[in-house]
Amino acid sequence: MAWLHVMEIMDFEGKTAVVTGGARGIGRGIALELAQRGSNVLIADTDEEAARDVVAEIKAGGTQSSFCETDVTQQWSTDDMVEVALEEFGQLDVLVNNAGVGGAIGFTKRKTPTVEDWQATFDVNVFGIVNATQSVESYMVERGYGKIVNIASIAGRGGRPGFATYAASKAAAVNVSQAWAFKLAPHGINVNTVCPGLIWTPLWEKIAEWRRSTDQQNAGLTPRQVFQRTVAEMVPLGREQTTEDVGKAVAFLASDRARSITGQALNVDGGIRQN
Amino acid sequence: MIFKGQVAVVTGGATGIGRAIALKLADKGASVMIADINDEAAEKTAAEVKEISGKSSVFITDVTNLEACDGLATATAETLGPVDFLVNNAGIAGSSGWQSRSHSTEEDWKQTYQVNVIGMSNVTSAFRSQMTKRRGGRIVNLASIAGREGRPSLPHYSASKAAVISLTQSTALELARFNITVNAICPGLLWTPMWEQVGDRYAQDNPAFDGMSPREVFDTMVAERIPMQKEQTPEDVADTVAFFVSEDAKNITGQALNVDGGFFMR
Repeated sequence: MAWLHVMEIMDFEGKTAVVTGGARGIGRGIALELAQRGSNVLIADTDEEAARDVVAEIKAGGTQSSFCETDVTQQWSTDDMVEVALEEFGQLDVLVNNAGVGGAIGFTKRKTPTVEDWQATFDVNVFGIVNATQSVESYMVERGYGKIVNIASIAGRGGRPGFATYAASKAAAVNVSQAWAFKLAPHGINVNTVCPGLIWTPLWEKIAEWRRSTDQQNAGLTPRQVFQRTVAEMVPLGREQTTEDVGKAVAFLASDRARSITGQALNVDGGIRQN
Repeated sequence: MIFKGQVAVVTGGATGIGRAIALKLADKGASVMIADINDEAAEKTAAEVKEISGKSSVFITDVTNLEACDGLATATAETLGPVDFLVNNAGIAGSSGWQSRSHSTEEDWKQTYQVNVIGMSNVTSAFRSQMTKRRGGRIVNLASIAGREGRPSLPHYSASKAAVISLTQSTALELARFNITVNAICPGLLWTPMWEQVGDRYAQDNPAFDGMSPREVFDTMVAERIPMQKEQTPEDVADTVAFFVSEDAKNITGQALNVDGGFFMR
């Protein structure tokens, strides 16, 4: 049944997507999902080795892929990313702003976030979206077509004690998406956000380490156990979400099936937070 | 044909948005039960579905009548099989003559709640055991962007659609442990027979629309309020329903998604 499904929904045949942070975790899931549906994919990341693996995996599946070393905190770098996508594939239809961090290096060891943690989180999670969007918008406007999907988090849906840096940056990501949704709507460009719930990724592993060191209840548990415990306590559907789930939601929002949807934030979280 | 072998029920499926949903699900292979009070239109839509996916049936259903809803559930299981997708789409905008009144009457409030909210609960209850027994299913409820915020007109309609969003959230939490997802869609501005009447009423209520035809009111609203500057279509809504009922959305529940060209962002 799975192959039938893939065969049927080839929304992205002949299209090109750029996925920032596409080398690992959720970004990788998104890149593979779009590729399975026919898209060429540029993996924009800082981690060349992991990115090369995804590129190879996509090529093996039959569409084109390539890597562009990208630091989303630098406008020149995202400008370069868009240029590379256009050079390599001739067009750019979908931008997925997925790159994200949980803090500055070593944040998992700190009980309280430092100024550097705040800065690093906002630099990547918010300004990264702004930079990449600014790099691509004039091209998309001129073309009168484009899909932008930003990856936030359910953490951005409401304040919580602990990890305020990350949560605040993700709330800002939702808001920034709305601003660009308004701005680009008259030009036939859709901008939406996906808010993933609990997904076992390298980032969550770090978050679990951080929780273990800051919360007595989690002392003695492995990161994976911290994660599973959180899933059991929080998810109404009773199971963790996957990078594929997010990839599929992104694929919907980036497709023409969602042509009349813009400025929305969709939680893919098994019902943790309602909207 | 990703929905081949799946059984869908669409209330209010005979015309408008409901019909578009029925045809979309059929297009992807589903058998569709058309539940409606309008038997002639229901038969016509069912015939269209049969042309596409081969299987369809009609059950004349007044969703305000619990017995009729139970009858619908039984008839679905007997003629098409146990339900996989329930689309609660049936809705009204007021009691008879609402479009020519400038203020909502008690009857408007009662009947709108009776159909849009209690009717939705009735149908969901009727199909509950078919879904819980099989540990799976999808429910999609049609709300409206009117349910996202207050409006100067038709308060009974807006309030009923806000209640639909709330009902969706409660049902999602209640049924999550049975692996059933429940989501809502909030359509924006669609040129349907209902909107034609809404336009009539707005022209009377709002000096800004004075002397306009319903279609002119509609076009003005689209131009002023929709960032994408385009009206939405029943197909837009149907595509979103197809996403929510698919395997792709298996971990999405309790959400209300606006299909409104950016009218309301959340």
